[in-house]
Amino acid sequence: MDLKLLLNWRLHLLVILTSMFSEWIGIIRIPLGPGTLLLLPLLYAFIIGVLFNPHLFSAMGKAIPKPVSHAAGPIILIAILPFIAKFGSTIGPAIEQIIAAGPALILQELGNLGTMLIALPFAVLVLKMGREAIGATYSIAREPNIAIISDRYGLRSPEGIGIMGVYVVGTMFGTLYFALMAGYIASLDILDIRALAMACGVGSGSMVAACSAALAEAVPAAKDELLAFAGASNLLTYATGLYVSLFIALPVTEWMFTRLKGSRQEVRHENS
Amino acid sequence: MKTHESTVDQFDAEALKELRPEQQLGKTALVLAAVCVAAWFSNIVNGSPLLDALPGMLILYVMVIIGLVVGRLCPFYLPSVAWVSLISIIATLPIFPGNGWIIGQLAEVNFLAVVTPVLAYAGLALTHREFSMFKQTGWKLVIVALLVFTGTFIGSAVVAHVML
Repeated sequence: MDLKLLLNWRLHLLVILTSMFSEWIGIIRIPLGPGTLLLLPLLYAFIIGVLFNPHLFSAMGKAIPKPVSHAAGPIILIAILPFIAKFGSTIGPAIEQIIAAGPALILQELGNLGTMLIALPFAVLVLKMGREAIGATYSIAREPNIAIISDRYGLRSPEGIGIMGVYVVGTMFGTLYFALMAGYIASLDILDIRALAMACGVGSGSMVAACSAALAEAVPAAKDELLAFAGASNLLTYATGLYVSLFIALPVTEWMFTRLKGSRQEVRHENS
Repeated sequence: MKTHESTVDQFDAEALKELRPEQQLGKTALVLAAVCVAAWFSNIVNGSPLLDALPGMLILYVMVIIGLVVGRLCPFYLPSVAWVSLISIIATLPIFPGNGWIIGQLAEVNFLAVVTPVLAYAGLALTHREFSMFKQTGWKLVIVALLVFTGTFIGSAVVAHVML
């Protein structure tokens, strides 16, 4: 693509102004029942970007012409990389804690594969979704998972739409949903409360906080232990989760999708 | 109209392929500089003033470039995100020389501020096709998302429960 488009000053200036404005609004916490609805600047930045998108409102073509909007696509791939570097730098210093955390913490990462076991068949067989289902269900759709999808398929592919949809839902309701679900499952008293704390670690920072706070609320005596387990698990999700989702979850999801898609077509064939 | 749409799609696919970051290091280095500047400014509000954050932003820039170069030279394929995160983990390990200084400088860069511009680019980059696709599948994605969260949480909890 033309370097002039990629380095279009209007595009980058608009992104800078959008980002600074979004950061200025800051994190908004809306208490709702037992949890909190947490709105982050990146959500506003996405919405403002959409509002300036010339494909949605053609009047915006004056500020950002359509070819420039197209150039923003490949830029996303590159823009996510400094974030990934920043992200890795939180893992290196904590390597000893991660090693000390033990096999339970490492293996529970594989539990993330539970994601697609329920959601993927439902998405393909009941909701009749296409390849969006792969992006939507292969992971919990946090930033590192988005980076993988963006690298593999591009964010504007069906897979990209799928993961961005789950990402937006997660950003808006994930914190609340995690808090509600964790509190409820803890009250059922079936699984070890420490196991639930580790499971809290699968989410983003705000999900982990809300989830472990809900658990601590359910079992106040074990509060410190629960928060430590959730924190260590979250660290591991970021350390090893990237590789689990890249080398195990994504290929398995692709494979299952092909199978499910095949069986769906056969059924339709028999019916007709 | 329809042919116009599909040429646009094709153009996008080609552009994406052409711009796999590690394949065009020169171009990537320039675009990376532009997006780092965006992140640098985004960081002013809740991170640090420009000058304080400068070394940290430069470190991130260099880490990404090293990751891309390694990815380019490596005989097998790993996505550039995996290489970049690996480089960053290694550079901040306790045994890595100067890791304290690196971590100190990176502390000036706010975690969330770096990702804010990425989503702004993403919002600007959406095309007609994606808007209509999202309109069609939007409500389905909400249901799927809740199933994804439930499945992940219970899956992890069950494995951890068995291991404890």
